[in-house]
Amino acid sequence: MSDLASLAEILDRAAHERVATPQLTHARPELTVEDAYEIQRLSIDRRLQRGERRVGVKMGLTSRAKMQQVGVDQMAWGRLTDKMLIEEGGSLALANFVHPRIEPEIAFLMSAPLAGRVTMAQALAAVAAVAPAMEVIDSRYENFKFALADVIADNSSSSGFVVGSWNDPHQDISNLGVILEIDGEVVEVGSSAAILGHPLRSLVAAARMVSEGGERIEAGDIVLAGGITAAPTLAKGQSIRTTVQNLGSVSIRVDA
Amino acid sequence: MIMSEQNTLDPDIIEEAAIALRTAAEKRSPIPPLRESLSGGGVAAAYAVQELNTRHALSSGRRLVGRKIGLTSRAVQKQLGVDQPDYGMLFADMDVPEGEPIGLGRVIQPKVEAEIAIVVGRDLLQPDLTIAELIRAVEYVVPAIEVVDSRIANWDIRILDTIADNASSGLFVLGAVPRKLDGLDLRACGMVMECRGEPVSVGAGVACLGSPISASLWLARVMAREGRPLLAGDVLLSGALGPMATVAAGDVVEARINGVGTVKAAFAS
Repeated sequence: MSDLASLAEILDRAAHERVATPQLTHARPELTVEDAYEIQRLSIDRRLQRGERRVGVKMGLTSRAKMQQVGVDQMAWGRLTDKMLIEEGGSLALANFVHPRIEPEIAFLMSAPLAGRVTMAQALAAVAAVAPAMEVIDSRYENFKFALADVIADNSSSSGFVVGSWNDPHQDISNLGVILEIDGEVVEVGSSAAILGHPLRSLVAAARMVSEGGERIEAGDIVLAGGITAAPTLAKGQSIRTTVQNLGSVSIRVDA
Repeated sequence: MIMSEQNTLDPDIIEEAAIALRTAAEKRSPIPPLRESLSGGGVAAAYAVQELNTRHALSSGRRLVGRKIGLTSRAVQKQLGVDQPDYGMLFADMDVPEGEPIGLGRVIQPKVEAEIAIVVGRDLLQPDLTIAELIRAVEYVVPAIEVVDSRIANWDIRILDTIADNASSGLFVLGAVPRKLDGLDLRACGMVMECRGEPVSVGAGVACLGSPISASLWLARVMAREGRPLLAGDVLLSGALGPMATVAAGDVVEARINGVGTVKAAFAS
């Protein structure tokens, strides 16, 4: 087993067994971003070998606020598998996570592949629909602390996602109001503008970054454009809803 | 309601605070916090200070053209340890036409907030005004950038300081394209404010006390009760839709509120 593969195994095991692990960069400060993406690929490969299916990609660290919050300075992407999908209106089990948080998102459903350097118009032409969504992020690292290489290796903290109903993408999604409610109480407020000023910019970036990783966004893929607000910690019994202006809402419950 | 209570503090203390704030504004020279000296009289004393300066402004010829609501976000309320918004007076000389550069000499320590401004089309005299009556009375809405300012040094404010200081008001810029309220969802509308093209604040209508309409209802009722009711033509700055941002000379700030429009404030360099 290669050196990076053994690191991938550590993260895969942490995710699988829901036990936080020390940051990889503590023992291996020389890990590069390229190494980190390779660890991510190897780690997700282990899941695919267990029968999970890749269903899309997620973009992370797409807002300046988020970059500052976690102390890194560039975007990251990760892979979504079918096992991470939570049914809309359904529930997630806390027991399946380490220390999960949730954040409002905008999701794209792709009608055509997208790769390399593309314009916003080309990106939009490859989108079948747009939906309100939420992503469960759950760093496999102790105390949710990480350097850029750590978080990339850890599939950009992605752990689960839920998507609401699909809408026509031919509308202005640059500044949609976003409301995150827990048990009916408004806890976070934002705008889709928090995603690089326009969620489609995130899709453009995703096409380029995924290509750089030797893959591409496929028709039928779901692309999560990036978190829109701060991400509150999940607790048992919560009922969580994100509403996005003009797109509708998406809900889940949190079980033990 | 707290602000309906009579001030019980020594009138000399109230007057002293009012003069200190007035002088600070005139000289653009901030003063230390007032909360210690007003604490015995609470919120009522702080509003008494504000009222004294409102009377002074009116008697010196300034024209009252509206009100602002402050402390409408839960985050800011928590930060200041209060559970309700506050209000201040808007005078005609605080209105900056869009496109006119704002000289920083007009303010002391400005910050900017993106808001929805409501212009009322009829007098709102009822202290028990209903939401339906308020909606009927809204003539139009425009996006607004409020240039907030504090006469208290380093923005070291608590609730009593900001109430006494006219709710930390400064100047305001209104968008010039009026929109009817019909069909506008002011609760869900997204807001992004950019400074020099970089996003510095994002939010949505719900951040303003659940909705700018709810915030406005609160204000209209309080104003009717306090004897300074909103009158036809008055402007109501309903409260920030996202965090405030600092500004400096030469900055150009643009606020976009989805469905409501865009407004720009340019600061002279």
